[in-house]
Amino acid sequence: MRKTAFFAFIWIILLNITIVSSFCIINSSGAAVEIDPEFGKAPIIDGTIDDSTGEWKEAYKDEIALNDLPIDIWVMQTNRELFISIQLELETEYHNITEFIGILISANASESVEDFVDARFIQFYNISSNNFTYYDYYINNSLFLNDAEEVGQGAGKLDGDVSIYEFSIPIGQYYTNGDNETAILDYENSYAFNITYGDRPLYPEGILKSEIIIININPPVKNEIILTELIFIIFSIIIFAIIGILFGFYIYNIIKLKEKIERLRS
Amino acid sequence: MSKIPKDQIKEQKLKIKRRSDDKFAYRTVIISCVLSIIFFVNSLFFNVLVEIGIFSVFSNSNILFGILDVLIKVSTILLFFLFMMISVGNYKELTGKPIGWKELLLLIVLSLGQALLNLWVFAFTFIGLFVIIIYLYLVQEL
Repeated sequence: MRKTAFFAFIWIILLNITIVSSFCIINSSGAAVEIDPEFGKAPIIDGTIDDSTGEWKEAYKDEIALNDLPIDIWVMQTNRELFISIQLELETEYHNITEFIGILISANASESVEDFVDARFIQFYNISSNNFTYYDYYINNSLFLNDAEEVGQGAGKLDGDVSIYEFSIPIGQYYTNGDNETAILDYENSYAFNITYGDRPLYPEGILKSEIIIININPPVKNEIILTELIFIIFSIIIFAIIGILFGFYIYNIIKLKEKIERLRS
Repeated sequence: MSKIPKDQIKEQKLKIKRRSDDKFAYRTVIISCVLSIIFFVNSLFFNVLVEIGIFSVFSNSNILFGILDVLIKVSTILLFFLFMMISVGNYKELTGKPIGWKELLLLIVLSLGQALLNLWVFAFTFIGLFVIIIYLYLVQEL
């Protein structure tokens, strides 16, 4: 009996090790995470997340690590733009005064260094006074060169211990300045994004930590879906109104019933 | 020796008991109705105003907040249904008729109608209503 229990115990341990180690293998290879962004209302790119208006409410939310630095990543899209918010929580004194977050964009889903052709940075010059600049570069042989035309938007803000970075990247739009300067995000395609963190305004030398994620760009939603949502909202409001009216009618009946009971008693 | 016949005393006692039962039932009608109104207002807030984005409760959300959000929305609807059924049931009892399938169906439709804007809330409300009805049916049978 004891022998059976011992063997059962060993089997359970071996099974646990197998399951746990298989998860470890999955996590340690390739991109940190593959994201299917949710459609939602376009947020204002100002480095602030306005809870009162439900900004970023519909976004896909996850936590990843840039090497050993945990960050929150929120991804959302509209028919015209991809939105990425990165939040970095560190004690105030550990936020570097010239901290930056960058997004290097691959021309496709490939994670090879030579396929990253575009780079967007939100560079703080004095994080305590929220003094930042948004940069759009193209990458040529590991050199970061200024785009002739700045594409997209970016903003950052230090809010307590959390530095918030917001990026907007156009989808399905082509540029006259030469397509080789900007990664064109097309619908129904996947792209590798290298999220980078650094502490001085030098690229790529200032990059300290990074992690690659894959984002699958969804096809644009048709107006039919919005119309269906509207119909559901109207239906819902009608039902709540009906319940309200029925409540009024029911309360009236309760009062009448009381009078009836009193009349019967007397 | 008492001059009042025993049957009359019995009848009087029964009358008093009926009156107190009626009083209790009427009080239940009112209290349950008030509670269902409270849960209805909560349901309006969570299932419409929060759902269409006028108010935000769990904007800084992860999966746990998502579950909590659905749980609150489903609970408000189910509690509305439960208290409304208690109230209507007692009301019908006072008028001398038991609650019928027509009233029950109307309550189910109105409860499910509150969950139209969220598929998860709709699914869990449907399951919750089913469980409540089965429970009440079994209790009644026993």
